[in-house]
Amino acid sequence: MKPDLSVEIAGVKLDNPVLTASGTCGYGEELADVFDLSRLGGIVTKSITVEPREGHPPPRTAEAEAGMLNAIGLANVGVDRFIEEKLTFLEKYNMVVVVNVAGARLDEYVGISRRLADCPRADMVELNFSCPNVESGMEIAKDPARAEEAVAAVKKVFPRPVIAKLSPNVSDIKPIARACEAGGADALAVINTLVGMAVDIETYRPRLTNNTGGLSGPAVKPVALAMVDQVYHAVKIPVIGIGGIMDWRDVVEFFLCGASAVQVGTGLFVEPDAPIKIIDGLRKYLSRNKLGSIKELTGKLRKF
Amino acid sequence: MSKIKVESVKLVKSKSLGRGNFVFDLAPFSGVKSIKPGQFIHIRMPESKLLFRRAFSVYDFDVSEKKISIIFKVFGRGTAQMSKLGQGADLDVMGPLGNGFKLPSRRETTILAAGGIGMPPLYLLAKKLLDKGFDPDKILFFYGGASKADLVDIGRIRKLGINVHAATDDGSYGYHGFVSDAIMDRVNITNGKYRLYACGPEGMLKALDELALRHDLPGQLSLEAPMPCGIGICLGCIKPLREGGYTRICREGPVYNVGEVLL
Repeated sequence: MKPDLSVEIAGVKLDNPVLTASGTCGYGEELADVFDLSRLGGIVTKSITVEPREGHPPPRTAEAEAGMLNAIGLANVGVDRFIEEKLTFLEKYNMVVVVNVAGARLDEYVGISRRLADCPRADMVELNFSCPNVESGMEIAKDPARAEEAVAAVKKVFPRPVIAKLSPNVSDIKPIARACEAGGADALAVINTLVGMAVDIETYRPRLTNNTGGLSGPAVKPVALAMVDQVYHAVKIPVIGIGGIMDWRDVVEFFLCGASAVQVGTGLFVEPDAPIKIIDGLRKYLSRNKLGSIKELTGKLRKF
Repeated sequence: MSKIKVESVKLVKSKSLGRGNFVFDLAPFSGVKSIKPGQFIHIRMPESKLLFRRAFSVYDFDVSEKKISIIFKVFGRGTAQMSKLGQGADLDVMGPLGNGFKLPSRRETTILAAGGIGMPPLYLLAKKLLDKGFDPDKILFFYGGASKADLVDIGRIRKLGINVHAATDDGSYGYHGFVSDAIMDRVNITNGKYRLYACGPEGMLKALDELALRHDLPGQLSLEAPMPCGIGICLGCIKPLREGGYTRICREGPVYNVGEVLL
């Protein structure tokens, strides 16, 4: 029997558990030159804000040990152009479209989500409460009460599933996770990038004009796995694992720690067709281990 | 769909050109048929712990042997590791990527201005023009570097049978000074019959951009920046545009019209 890779997030079926992570795949246009986007479980778009944003001046990416730092600064086309052009482009693909939403204030999250409510192609929204490169998001990400309020406010205006993307840059991620669940979040995406810095020893300057950036890539995977495990045991809603996924083995690890789906981010920069290889690898792994469905793996970690 | 390919190729030949410069021949590369001068390939060493690919302009290619050549200078960790690779090493190549040069018209005289390791795309452009039957006397190749040894593989350019003008900062070979000054010294660019193509260090491109704008000299510049993804999804390799906003060098570039990018 062919193993079943499909998963379900808040009643929405994904053909497979692999999504591309926000900020690493634009709005899908470029990756469509690499593979058929319909082969993905879904795509999470670049963060959308009310107004278009150019982002921070260069340099805004830097290579790190087994990872990278970025401080793009939420460069995006703004919600109007996004709905007109980018969401229209995604119409023709048979996969789940998750629109990542960011804002400087709560009413911006609500305003964008309300606009997206009228766009059926926006299957879900993911609330970026955790971009380390803009001040406002972090305030919500660190304060359970504000996180709960924000999720609840978006839930009121957006009729389909709402995902809250959590920051690892907190002393304890569990209260935030529980607060988002209490606010009505349908799933949690764990984790965003870790605040980091790289320094040029000749010029004494940080390698990013934003001074700090978000660390991603294989370097953060152990942190992400630990946090997925913590969140999985703290809430009842599904957890979407993110952090340094490069191949199918990483995805199995995330599932065992409690993920019900995953997002591939920085891995796309290294191998733009990584999701396709991951999906193929997962299928073989399930067959080899005589597992009927990938869902059987979620949370099956045998802890000491 | 599926216009961008990632494939495994072998290093069939590695040759040192001195001063930390190397030329690599890679094969078999299935994308060889569609290469345009100015385009680049994005290389990853499968055995390396470095995360990002490294971008290199295509220097030359051979369709029948499915072979492509690149030149690189040891600059950081990636190029240092690459320089140590031996024949037969596997490399992971994506490409060809980016937009190539727009060709000149036949009545124009082409000025190719190369600085150091920025030479490869201009060599390939010269070769393409000759293949298309352009008059070799109307192709002027200016090649500048800090010193004579930085005029990498200049013999190969001379073999094309075009006019090669060397310029060195220290005066050790050819014109004593910058490429932009050498062009002003040797060519009357103000008569409207010239078109400029340039690739090299940003300081040189800035000087040429200003010169071209000042003298109404049309042309294109090929830019460089560290490129994490090479296909436009990471938004890392950006430069400001003169009209405002940013451009992705890997996707909208690396070739731009004179005056387009704020250097």
